[in-house]
Amino acid sequence: MDMNEIREIFFQECEEQLAELETGLLALNDGDTDPETVNAVFRAVHSIKGGAGAFALDDLVAFAHVFETTLDKVRSGQLEPTHDVLKVMLKSADVLADLTNAARHGDQIDQDRSASLVADLEALARGEGVSSGEKPAEAEPEFTPVPVMLEEPQSADFAPVPFSFDDFDDEDTAAAASGFVVTFRPRAELYGKGNDAYLLLRDVAKLGAAKIACDSTDLPDLAQMDPEGAYLSWTIEVTGLADEAPIQRVFEFAEWDCDLTIVPSGDVSAVQPAEEIVLMAPIETPAPVKAPAPKFTPAKPTASVDDSGMVPVPFDLSAFDNLTVADTIAPQPVAAPVAATPAAPAPVAPVISIAEAAAKRGADPDAADRRQGGDRRAAETVAPTIRVDLDRVDRLINLVGELVINQAMLAQSVNESAAGTSAINMGLEELQQLTREIQDSVMAIRAQPVKPVFQRMSRIVREIADMTGKNVRLVTEGENTEVDKTVIDKLAEPLTHMIRNAVDHGLETPEKRLAAGKPEEGTLRLAAKHRSGRIVIEIADDGAGINRERVRKKAIENGLISADANLSDEEIDNLIFHAGFSTADKISDISGRGVGMDVVKRSIQQLGGRISIVSRPGEGSVFTMSLPLTLAVLDGMVVSVANQTLVVPLTAIVETLQPEASKIHRFGAEQRLISIRDTFCPLVDVGRVLSFRREQADPVQSVAVLVETEGGGQRALMVDAIQGQRQVVIKSLEANYDHVPGIAAATILGDGRVALILDVDAVVAGSRGDQARPELSLAAVG
Amino acid sequence: MNGTMTMMDDAQIVELPTVLDLNAAAPLRDRLLARRGTPLALDASRVERIGGQCLQVLLAARNAWQRDGAGFSIDRPSDGFLNALRQMGFAGDLTPATETTR
Repeated sequence: MDMNEIREIFFQECEEQLAELETGLLALNDGDTDPETVNAVFRAVHSIKGGAGAFALDDLVAFAHVFETTLDKVRSGQLEPTHDVLKVMLKSADVLADLTNAARHGDQIDQDRSASLVADLEALARGEGVSSGEKPAEAEPEFTPVPVMLEEPQSADFAPVPFSFDDFDDEDTAAAASGFVVTFRPRAELYGKGNDAYLLLRDVAKLGAAKIACDSTDLPDLAQMDPEGAYLSWTIEVTGLADEAPIQRVFEFAEWDCDLTIVPSGDVSAVQPAEEIVLMAPIETPAPVKAPAPKFTPAKPTASVDDSGMVPVPFDLSAFDNLTVADTIAPQPVAAPVAATPAAPAPVAPVISIAEAAAKRGADPDAADRRQGGDRRAAETVAPTIRVDLDRVDRLINLVGELVINQAMLAQSVNESAAGTSAINMGLEELQQLTREIQDSVMAIRAQPVKPVFQRMSRIVREIADMTGKNVRLVTEGENTEVDKTVIDKLAEPLTHMIRNAVDHGLETPEKRLAAGKPEEGTLRLAAKHRSGRIVIEIADDGAGINRERVRKKAIENGLISADANLSDEEIDNLIFHAGFSTADKISDISGRGVGMDVVKRSIQQLGGRISIVSRPGEGSVFTMSLPLTLAVLDGMVVSVANQTLVVPLTAIVETLQPEASKIHRFGAEQRLISIRDTFCPLVDVGRVLSFRREQADPVQSVAVLVETEGGGQRALMVDAIQGQRQVVIKSLEANYDHVPGIAAATILGDGRVALILDVDAVVAGSRGDQARPELSLAAVG
Repeated sequence: MNGTMTMMDDAQIVELPTVLDLNAAAPLRDRLLARRGTPLALDASRVERIGGQCLQVLLAARNAWQRDGAGFSIDRPSDGFLNALRQMGFAGDLTPATETTR
């Protein structure tokens, strides 16, 4: 595995951590008071910081450090996670994501925004409020990332010193020190990964003269203990060492799985000697201890705040033990363990006698066990996972597609040859069943929950709400609904436009909402569920609903409908999907960014999906997307055109009909229309468009397949016959041959023949050039 | 300090395995728990390696036997056993031994 691959794995881990971070912050924003939620949030930032440190991503490390320090205030109960505080933290999470992307792709980030949030976070950490709104950039201190290390006390509840980037004192404290005091408290995970406290202690002792003292205060009774837990901690005083970097290197691969401090020997106030630790109150009643003044070192940061009772999600470095710091990072993901909930910190550290301490432990002999061993047990309940290169999965899916096709061909051959004995037929049925199960299982490998996409939307909601001055609460449901990764990858764009549209156009300003007797805060609901073998995604807002009068007026102005057209409410609502249609009084930079709902509809249709609207004036609107669960297979109607077999995607088909001569009308030189109920619909001669034949097909001898096209218009595709309806395996033409106009993809039928899958919109476009008015009302043509 | 203790006549002798790592911790604890209440002599002569988690088990066992007032000893500790314990801050008889190491 080369460095680029390792680095990429780190960034993939970062994505997961950022998702955890946002989930936790949103939960806190919704009133979640579980300390573990705060721990999970803290863990995410802490883990990103640590991993980034290994790659010397200083900007990321520095911002994460400030963020982490403020989060620790929340964790220790010194900062109330109010709505305003969480607003800053959610924005900080966005900046952390930007910094991660910048480090990954070399993008530029908004330095002013980053500096502004650093100032806000620091103000919160100091116990000050933050100013609302954006600060002018020039008023902010220069944000220059500097690698930092804050020492921590031995206390279980560490109160970090407010950290400032201003005016670092550049004295070289390390050089002046004659040694260091290391406190090291391994967690169960450290042992679980094949590491051992003994090995680390041994390696530290090799660095210089070392005094090693063990603290076994937390050791429970033999019968109560988890033999694979972690109860011991050590204090090592290393002398004759001018630089702490060698010590950091010893713990490089264990940093995630232990609490570690390294302080120069001069700062012994930061560390309790082992003999005194015995006299301290047990960890169940942790207490803040005055932290020493921060010392800065050019080395990469170590864990800067105490992590008692929590386990950072590790970027597991254990497979790279033979590499140097600069060459290492996570080779494999590790499921995030769920940390045990720490007890609430006590304000004062009572010094009690050994007897009292023992009595306290005796009252709850397995408290430490729960705290330490619990982490490991919780981790064991998480299903193990592996990362697999997507190309490998895609290859497997393609092979299974071949298997499905071959199975169909074999079955058809047996049927045609009449050689099928009952045993052969039974075997074929079993093979078909097995093939389907394999296909389902393989598709399940590539299936992913929509959660990451939904989480991206919460950021968009925050940003648009800020821009429009609206109060918006995003509620998500069904985040774990799974859909094929190929669909997920294409889902983000239409969803983004719809969310923008819902906040910008759907929800009212706080003033208007109050005037309408609604709560000031608008609610946007994003929900996913499975229905009939498809995924259904709903975007619902409790805004004003579609202003039908205005939509109708705009549609008449734009020539989309005639002034006397009689449209139902649903038809009026659907007008917003027409190209270039906007009811905004002025061009907004938000919802469309030059992109209308027509593009949204088109991209959903390209995915084989449909979109519909239900809107109630004054109550809001619900946009419903229905999408296939996979792009590897497709439900299609198999048709014949000029002796060719084609597949029309079922999602595009509205109905099929047999044209009557009386319903066919000529229009212009080439065009023909078919009257269906009260509208005229242009006929599209598929055979001619695709150059299968030169002469026009006779509509009466054809079958009309009514399809919905781009812009919501309808066309009647003329085909010779309909063979049936079936699910087909999609094969890319571009990958195997070349792009063919009017054709979306290909498939292989049971008889081994290749059938082309129609690109409905392209065929329609090819049939007519570009008509401005796809549908003509009867009123318009007289 | 060689860590050798006097062998108790009536003690059950438990021979410690060669490797006392993570995998050995749970079986070791179970073996010792099964002998709770009787004097115990651990034979550490074959130990080549001992890690933090088996040290925890031995420390907890020593505490338990002390609370029970039963005899507990570690006999014939190997060099590997003694070295590892010293690196972890203990003498061969599990008493704290903050020593300067090199």
